[in-house]
Amino acid sequence: MTRAPVVVAVLLLAVACQKPVQPGDPLRGLSRAERDRFDRGKVVFDSVFTPETGLGPLFNATGCGECHENPAGGRGDEVEVHATAFHAPVCDPLAQEGGPVIQQHTTPLLKQALGIDQEPFPASATARAMRTSPVIFGRGLLDLVPDSVLLTYADPDDRNHDGVRGRPNRFVDGRIGRFGRKGFVPTLREFNAGAFAAEMSVTNPQQPTEEDVGGKPLPVGVDPAPDPEINQEQLDLTDDFVRFLAPPTPLKVGKDGRRGRDLFSQIGCTTCHIPTLRTGYSPVQTLSNREFAAYTDLLLHDMGPDLADICLGAATPADFRTEPLLDLRGAEHFLHDGRATTLEQAIELHGGEGSGARGRFKALAAADRAALVAFLKSL
Amino acid sequence: MRRTIRTAVLTAILLVPLVISAPADWGTLTSAQPAPSYTYQGTVRAVNARAGTLELITGVGMSLRVVRLKTAPTTRLVAAGASPRLADLKPGDVVRAEYRRTAAGLVADRVEKLEVGAR
Repeated sequence: MTRAPVVVAVLLLAVACQKPVQPGDPLRGLSRAERDRFDRGKVVFDSVFTPETGLGPLFNATGCGECHENPAGGRGDEVEVHATAFHAPVCDPLAQEGGPVIQQHTTPLLKQALGIDQEPFPASATARAMRTSPVIFGRGLLDLVPDSVLLTYADPDDRNHDGVRGRPNRFVDGRIGRFGRKGFVPTLREFNAGAFAAEMSVTNPQQPTEEDVGGKPLPVGVDPAPDPEINQEQLDLTDDFVRFLAPPTPLKVGKDGRRGRDLFSQIGCTTCHIPTLRTGYSPVQTLSNREFAAYTDLLLHDMGPDLADICLGAATPADFRTEPLLDLRGAEHFLHDGRATTLEQAIELHGGEGSGARGRFKALAAADRAALVAFLKSL
Repeated sequence: MRRTIRTAVLTAILLVPLVISAPADWGTLTSAQPAPSYTYQGTVRAVNARAGTLELITGVGMSLRVVRLKTAPTTRLVAAGASPRLADLKPGDVVRAEYRRTAAGLVADRVEKLEVGAR
């Protein structure tokens, strides 16, 4: 009988002393088999592709780890170029001219054949966008939030008159999207398979055809590797690695940070940056029915004309998906294109539906603004 | 009349060995030979009603492709409670197309315009 309190105390102590999750760590609670897939997936993620193993002939990076680095799954310093054409209300992702991702490099064989160093910028584009590489921690959790939950946060007609009109984006087939800066892609699995094809031109069972060059077929002989250039197992392992990357444990905050957290809510940031979301069922126990810190509603919001760039799906040029606030402590650049170098700048660049919260932030006393930023830096 | 019957019987006799020596799936190779049907679900990029063609944007993640479908006089077009014409489809519409691969390209058997929420 007298042992019970001691056992409870030891267990509580063990939980309290648990090592915090660092950027790049796997989720806690993975089975041995799942942890093995995480480790094997990391090998594919860190692979460097060559033309002989599938790279190119157009590409942005030679491997996933080139952009999501320090550690694997983290952010990189690469900035890529996207383009689409907006003919309101229709968005043309320029699939007939090579798609919205404009690859910045070519393999030697393609350069020799066409004399180009990068994919030609599409003539039909109405806008260009710059995109930094985000951290990809916690994406397995975001993937599992049911669409029905996102729709409960949507308010496209602003029925509550708070000036915020969250709405989901839609993929080309009409399904609700959530991944990417415009929330265009419905699932993590599709995002990963699409990234192999769009970023490295590594064909795979989900996208078995190579991209053409500005709508023209690839010259004969410039793509020596047979399609698909990776198999289903390599794709699945990479997907599991990304899926099992844990969101880092937030740093402990002091009194200022706690006040900053309260202010973050009081001035309305949590209307879009919803602090916690809950996953639905997953056969991976540690991902299933789990509440986690997300700070996003995964919905589109009009962020005003100053941030506007390209359309994508149902997203107009000014619409962006609420960015999940994960691993902000490690960030040196903020917003979708990295134009902000401090969190204060990032907040002050929120326009459109974010302008109310921005105004209230600017109206705070300097100490309160610093407290709010201190909280964000703990994430 | 008698001559006609005789011809029919002779023809049947000649055909019997051919039928019984045929491979087991001979029937499926001949009578049930429709090409397999596939499905694309994507956004309409362009419609050429005069040529009877339709371009769809499909793909996976950020890797998008255009597929070109032909329609035939037998192609069924369907929308919620209506039977639209090809010319009624416009860029931005989301459709599900059932199609077959033929020597002349991809031919749609059925094109259904989908109602997609809050676009």
